[in-house]
Amino acid sequence: MSEVMAPQAPPGGWLARYEAVVGSGTLRALEALARRLKGHRVVMVNTTKTGGGVAEILHRVVVILNELGVPTTWEVMEGDDRFFGVTKRMHNALHGHVEPLTEEDKAVFRERTRIEADRLALDGDLIFIHDPQPAGLIEYRRQPGQKWMWRCHIDLSRRDETYWEFLRPLVAQYDTAIFSHIGFVPPLDLPTYLVPPSIDPFAEKNREMDEAEVDGMMDTLGLSERGPWVTQISRFDRIKDPLGVLEAYRLVRKRRAAARLLLAGGGASDDPEGAEVLAEVRERAKGVPGVTVLELPSGSDREINALQRASTVVLQKSLREGFALTVSEALWKRRAVVASAVGGIPLQVLHERTGLLVHSIEGTALQTIRLLDNPDLRRELGSEGREHVRDNFLHTREVRDYLAAFAALL
Amino acid sequence: MTAPFRFETVAHLESPAGLSASSLDSLREAIERAPDDSIFQHVTRIPARHPHARDLPANDFARWVGTALQAPEAAERLAFAGADPSRPIAEVRAALLAALERVPARDRRREVSEDAILRFVQARSVRVPLDIEAVTPAEAIGLWPQLDAGSVFYHLIEAPLRGNTGTSLAAWLRAQGAGGLARAAEEEVAEGRPLERLRRELGARWRRSLIGRRIAEKAGAPEAERRRDATATIARLAERLRTEGETR
Repeated sequence: MSEVMAPQAPPGGWLARYEAVVGSGTLRALEALARRLKGHRVVMVNTTKTGGGVAEILHRVVVILNELGVPTTWEVMEGDDRFFGVTKRMHNALHGHVEPLTEEDKAVFRERTRIEADRLALDGDLIFIHDPQPAGLIEYRRQPGQKWMWRCHIDLSRRDETYWEFLRPLVAQYDTAIFSHIGFVPPLDLPTYLVPPSIDPFAEKNREMDEAEVDGMMDTLGLSERGPWVTQISRFDRIKDPLGVLEAYRLVRKRRAAARLLLAGGGASDDPEGAEVLAEVRERAKGVPGVTVLELPSGSDREINALQRASTVVLQKSLREGFALTVSEALWKRRAVVASAVGGIPLQVLHERTGLLVHSIEGTALQTIRLLDNPDLRRELGSEGREHVRDNFLHTREVRDYLAAFAALL
Repeated sequence: MTAPFRFETVAHLESPAGLSASSLDSLREAIERAPDDSIFQHVTRIPARHPHARDLPANDFARWVGTALQAPEAAERLAFAGADPSRPIAEVRAALLAALERVPARDRRREVSEDAILRFVQARSVRVPLDIEAVTPAEAIGLWPQLDAGSVFYHLIEAPLRGNTGTSLAAWLRAQGAGGLARAAEEEVAEGRPLERLRRELGARWRRSLIGRRIAEKAGAPEAERRRDATATIARLAERLRTEGETR
């Protein structure tokens, strides 16, 4: 079976829960958009039903679309190790790493795509393909009257042109392409829309937590000392600049000795470079008092939720970014955020309104000190940040954009 | 008697406009060439993008000039040029260009890094009916709290700007003989507030106007009818106070 069974909805459905967060007017607007699609069927296709942001989004979005009366199914393209070996290299290459692409790789990609095209139930009116791995299905399965959309969740701004030249003729056959951010869009000769990603306020990572639960989790993680905590939660990767965060913290610590730094994240267990960065961070942190470096296993959603809520200041001092939804997660929890003005961050952090944007280590230190000293400013930014996320970065907004894109296409 | 007012909502699909800016000079050139839907997205649509904000953020051009180019004076001028969402796009464009013209030539050429380039976006409107309609201005005011931010934005700001008089709420109110209510809507829009605040304040202003209008209508009614209405009003007030007391 390739079709994913959507998870069970809570009593009354997900829409009823969302109504309490976004209001009845927003739900009425979604229902109105959904009515435009009456009689049409949507099929979502990706390559995994668990793990990763795309599967997380689909689990919720598919249920919401069905609750709105738009029949939506979700198909998962399968593959063997050879196929996923090629698509993993493709993923890395599209992110900017140099990877070889052989004729054999192309043949493996085409052959698996052809097999899956025969197997998958792609009989809706709107076929919504997520990411490059299943992009070739259109070549084998497009039926008259169908509309095909390609939703690219990754940043193509530093793409390896060899891989893109292989993929582009496939993408060119689609009726519409969707990207998360304008900076990620390659030159394409088809209608292209911008739909930022979004977070789920009811997910384990974002759900409400009371103080006792947060304190309990901090104790469990061995972080019983009370802050103020300055935190960056990101995988251990050079582009997240954990060493820059340490430098900024050194400057903060000279002037605000009570501040503590927490660098938490994953990515070290399955990535040799991540392990190297983590080791370097640990080594550098040895000489700096007040620093905790925490390696989080995948699936630490509850821990991340508690760590963000326990933080006085949340940092995202990246040198480069994709969309960086961790910023929206922190803003949703009304945290004061200091973040670099790169990638999708300036869409989430409106300087001096929903957080503070910085461009340097010194700027990070200066704005962190400012926030540590000013609880009123933290409250104001946190409160505006939450409203900004409510308006722009919850799943209901992403569903609205998809419905509008479907409506524009039909 | 005009046709009922049919409420709609709007979703805006954003797409690349194919223009970018890396300095004040290139920003001026791009604003000159940008399609109306791009000026609409970056300036006029700000209230719809931040409906629950405490006050309205500056438009995208002003924010970019302030944060990426670090040119506060030009940023202030651009913010002011785009502060009234009811202003026609052509006027907004001219005001933005005039604001940029005032920047000394030596300051206009400073470039930002590749990562901080401003890429222009445009917005395409997808309108859908909400399946609710009002026959009288009083009904429209009664329905007002039920609308989403997209609907409020479309009927008060976007429809008049695009010349869609058939879906402009102010135009319909005027055609219904409710010129005062229409004027109130136009004045509140020109204040340039976030949509939720605009909706709240306009709703309160409309309700106050309606009370005055009802009193004026009733003034000419026979004594017995006025007594009956007064008794009913007091009974409703007493019921409301009783219910509020219970919930407290």
